[in-house]
Amino acid sequence: MKKLILTSLCIAAFASAQAFAEVQTIKADVNGMVCAFCAQGIERKLRAMPQTRDVYVNLKHKIVAVELKEGQGVPLDTVRDLVKEAGYDVTHIETVNQSAQEIKAGINKE
Amino acid sequence: MTIYRLLRRMPALLLAGAASSTAWAAPMGFQDSWMSMGDLGPNWREVYANYAVTPQDAFGVANTYMRSDDKQASLDLTDLTYTRLVHRWNSPDAQANLWFVAGIGEAQAHDQATGVSSTRTMVSPGTQFDYETRRLYFAATARLYRASGIDHDYGSIRGGFSFYETEYDETQPWFVLEARRMHDLSDRTEITPMLRLVNKGFFVEAGVNNAHLPRLNFMVIF
Repeated sequence: MKKLILTSLCIAAFASAQAFAEVQTIKADVNGMVCAFCAQGIERKLRAMPQTRDVYVNLKHKIVAVELKEGQGVPLDTVRDLVKEAGYDVTHIETVNQSAQEIKAGINKE
Repeated sequence: MTIYRLLRRMPALLLAGAASSTAWAAPMGFQDSWMSMGDLGPNWREVYANYAVTPQDAFGVANTYMRSDDKQASLDLTDLTYTRLVHRWNSPDAQANLWFVAGIGEAQAHDQATGVSSTRTMVSPGTQFDYETRRLYFAATARLYRASGIDHDYGSIRGGFSFYETEYDETQPWFVLEARRMHDLSDRTEITPMLRLVNKGFFVEAGVNNAHLPRLNFMVIF
């Protein structure tokens, strides 16, 4: 019985930690993204980072979002440089506590 | 040289074939990527691949078969190519590019009437300017194709529009109209209306030109 209670407490604690873990996503405004075929380099370069969980690209809103794996961090300049290597210019970049899918859902609501 | 005069010289340019595909869109991918292109039709068939060693520089190989309108003269060109992104302008809703392209290789010319074939070294420097928004596209290309006794300068102008905007993961249909001339292979200006489908994974164009010949273009980055 003690084992069962202990296991339950561990599971509850783990679930609680998961719930409170903040999602970290680097969101950038990018100039020049007018064509999906040409902009695929941005997605490929960002997905190649070991810290990346998901990438979201929106041509109309000129947004690129890189959701990071839990506990992972990436300097903003690294993302800025990768986008530049892909041929585009970052005009604004920030870290937000939303997942890539949440950013997508927010834009779709507009 | 005016655009008109340049276009007048283009019939000969058809021989150099490989250049034509550079007018489709960006003629190279992003750094550390391979780009493969094809331009397929009865009078010319071209395949092209290059590797981007930097965000601005790519090296590749191309093979092009070209044939005159009367089917009497043909040219098979295999060359090494260099592509340089000279400058890119990125704005919130548009992108423009200035490219330099060049090739050097072996051209095998064949005259069907006489049965005579000859092999020569051909060089092909050129330039392209393109401008694109999510709904509009324009490109102008000029390229010299020169070998001993051969002058096949090439020029093309392309313009098009997309039927509607799409999201990044969707396929976007475009209408594109191209006019091009190549010196010494065709006396006519080739006009080709094409349907273009663009996705983040592929780029395909298909159409029929004013000589009623089909044409299929494709690009893939990997």
